[in-house]
Amino acid sequence: MEICIKNLSRYYFSGGKTIKALANVDLIIPANQIFTLLGPSGCGKTTLLRCIVGLETPDSGEIRIGEKIVWSKEKNIFMPPEKRELSMVFQTYAIWPHMNVFDNIAYPLQIRKESRKDIARKVKKTLQLVQLDGFENRPATKLSGGQQQRVALARALVAEPKVILFDEPLSNLDAKLREETRKELRSFLIKLKITAIYVTHDQIEALSLSDTIAVMKDGRIIEIGAPKKIYFGSDHRFVADFIGRANLIDGKVKAVEDSYTIVDSGIGTIACLKNPDALPANAVTICIRPEFIKVIKRDTRDGRNIFRGRAESMVFVGEAYEAEISIADTRLITRIEPTISIKEGDEIALSFDPDHCFVLSK
Amino acid sequence: MNRPMFNTRAALTPSLIVIVGFLTVCPVIMLVFGSFSEGLGAFGSFTLDKYIIAYTNPDFADIIVNTVIFTIGSAFVATVLALFLAYLNTRTNIPLKFLFRIISIIPMMIPHILFSVSWVLLLNPSNGMLNLFLQEILSMEGSPFNIYTLQGMILVEGLLDMPIAYLIIAPAMAAFDVSLEESSKVCGASNLRTLIRVTLPVLRPAILSSVILVIVRSLASFAVPSVIGMPGRIYVLSTHIYQIVATGFTADYGMAAAVGMSVLIVSITLIYIYRYLTSESEKYVTISSRGYKPTLIDLKNAKYPLFGIVGILSFVLIVLPVLVLFYTSLVPYSMVPSTKAFSMMSWNNWVEVLSDPISLLSLKNSVFLGIVGATLGVILSVFVSYVIVKVRTRGAGFLESLSFLSFSFPGIVIGVGFMWFFVQTPLYATIWALLIGYIATYLPYGIRPLTSAFIQIHSHLEESSRVCGAGTLYTLRRIIIPLLIPGIVSGWILMATMFLRELTLSVVLSRPGTEVLAVQVLHFAEDGLWGKVSALGIIMICISTTLVVIAYLIGAKLTRMENVNQ
Repeated sequence: MEICIKNLSRYYFSGGKTIKALANVDLIIPANQIFTLLGPSGCGKTTLLRCIVGLETPDSGEIRIGEKIVWSKEKNIFMPPEKRELSMVFQTYAIWPHMNVFDNIAYPLQIRKESRKDIARKVKKTLQLVQLDGFENRPATKLSGGQQQRVALARALVAEPKVILFDEPLSNLDAKLREETRKELRSFLIKLKITAIYVTHDQIEALSLSDTIAVMKDGRIIEIGAPKKIYFGSDHRFVADFIGRANLIDGKVKAVEDSYTIVDSGIGTIACLKNPDALPANAVTICIRPEFIKVIKRDTRDGRNIFRGRAESMVFVGEAYEAEISIADTRLITRIEPTISIKEGDEIALSFDPDHCFVLSK
Repeated sequence: MNRPMFNTRAALTPSLIVIVGFLTVCPVIMLVFGSFSEGLGAFGSFTLDKYIIAYTNPDFADIIVNTVIFTIGSAFVATVLALFLAYLNTRTNIPLKFLFRIISIIPMMIPHILFSVSWVLLLNPSNGMLNLFLQEILSMEGSPFNIYTLQGMILVEGLLDMPIAYLIIAPAMAAFDVSLEESSKVCGASNLRTLIRVTLPVLRPAILSSVILVIVRSLASFAVPSVIGMPGRIYVLSTHIYQIVATGFTADYGMAAAVGMSVLIVSITLIYIYRYLTSESEKYVTISSRGYKPTLIDLKNAKYPLFGIVGILSFVLIVLPVLVLFYTSLVPYSMVPSTKAFSMMSWNNWVEVLSDPISLLSLKNSVFLGIVGATLGVILSVFVSYVIVKVRTRGAGFLESLSFLSFSFPGIVIGVGFMWFFVQTPLYATIWALLIGYIATYLPYGIRPLTSAFIQIHSHLEESSRVCGAGTLYTLRRIIIPLLIPGIVSGWILMATMFLRELTLSVVLSRPGTEVLAVQVLHFAEDGLWGKVSALGIIMICISTTLVVIAYLIGAKLTRMENVNQ
């Protein structure tokens, strides 16, 4: 089911000031996709999710789920959350402590007054899906964090909703379990053809789980795109910096070639992937990820995108060294193969892959 | 967390502020007006006479001195005992730890007036059982002990207030960050030195709150001063007020209000200091209270002697009063247990009490007030706690302060305030006057367990139910109420037992026709009818226990039903 949000705003009043939790958000979430709202805390992502599900009331705008308008300021429509036929997994799981696993999962079906036989069958099937078969009669509070998370997921899945909303559902799990659950979750959602709206502040979670990511900041959606587009080809300085590790270099466009934009910067002239929006003499920022900076030791060639610098610090992190290199006054971070013999203080040469140097226009 | 605001919800906070405001502010305002009025009949004609007469009374200085010694002495006894017990329980390997839980709860179920009576029966100078017994075996002339003294009052009040002090100090001691002590020991300090230099100073907020709360309690206490103090002609403020309104030729409610004003002001001030201290210490305690287990100190040789002391304390606190009362209810006059005494035992006192129309009426009234009062009180507490915990607007904060105000009310003073109010209404001398007064005074005891129940209900539990498709009512029935039941049950039990044994407010508000159990016990005690006191007292304890058991069973059944049925 497609979800369509038009010009949605939500204000808070705190200490005499108005805070815009959502500022004129326009968004279309396509059907049967995993759509992630990503952003730092306080960016409005959870508020947006809670407005969609109906737990919070926006101050203006319209929300449409499928064909139904569930909220509209102008048409004076407010559909309460229980009528919206959505499912949601909460950050705290919201497992009811006075019920056992069966009752927790059966709850949405009991509300619809389905027959006992159907309820038992569906709960059993769902428990199998989340690999908790046989846990029906366990008190819900006696489960581990990971198991509670599965119960919450089972409760969201059992009513076979068209849309599930996730509010940072993995943030209370430990790192290893989080990784496993993330993979499982993706395979469930793809298999069951469900539209999922997923809120997180963890960029790795967003990149590995989503079909589409919307990055939010200060109540606005800044950029929407597939994970690769967001990671490699973002237009925004904020997005490039927030997602992953990035070297950001300020400069001025010198020339525009057929496939490259040439930029003058503090470390020299850099050839970057062509950005048609950047015109000569524009002030721009270049983004290059650490993994696309190659170290060429004792290379004397002077070529395109080759710079000389000094290894200021090298930190061994297992699969590589994380190195800080200074070129003129600019410090760059890069990853160096652990087998390369470079010491702190060595003079080295670096090469930037021009296809992975991006000109950020915003 | 903001949520859709519905009109019913928006109207809830103001209407609760009106109700709770009426219950808590009305008696205070009436007390102020009353203290400046000429008399109950002449409300509103302004005069300062009452203050002048009350505070120039030549006995007043003595009364103040007595009150100060009594309250501070009781606070000292209760807090030292509580520290001792809490330390043994949480920090040492003393055996039979379940005893400590019992010591901290059971004395709350024994009405204070009966506890005081049992000590009078044991230690009064003319025929106290223990005195007679010691005189016999040591062939002494006079009585070795006299309970009718300030020391006697302090001892009994201290024992009565010990559970409250324990309930404040024990959690603080349990949540104590043990590494503070360990680092002291690593520096070479002994156990005792660590206790004095580290443990006690860190616990200072809890100890101070305990002292303050016991001072407030003993300032309001009426059972001990009336049963033990008055026969020895030792008056404190609460009995002084009682004397002004209930004895002598004419009751002077104006003067009672004038005296009561200073008690109330001291009490409210102390309670706000207490509240400040507990909010500070709670902040402090929660930091380090996560999943840690303190190392227990091995008491070695001191283990069994110390345990002996705890055993004696629990005997004195729980078994002895009931035993003494039951024995006294069976014998015709005070005597040491002997073959002669056992041969004279009969149910006469019981028969007399149960055929006494006023005793029966008081029984009926108290049971009614206990059941109906606690039920209404808990319903009000549910709404107030909901607003305090879940709505959390500025109005909700105001409501919290309002509802906490009555925590500081000394019963007899607030009784005088209510008297000034009820006289103007048709409620005067009806059971409803008592009911309203009870709920107003004991509201915090219903609110406290319910606010902690509401705090446990995370808003996600409610929201999750609504997203699953449940409406407000269905969510209330399946999620909110089942989770609230433990809080409702403990709130009800607390209120019902307190109403059943209520004395301080009732001595002022109870009129012919609205007698209640504790007041009837007090009247019997004033006349020295110890057999009847004891018989009625045992009946009181039995009813109280029955109510607790029934409430507990209903609560357990409701919780189980939810689990099995759905």
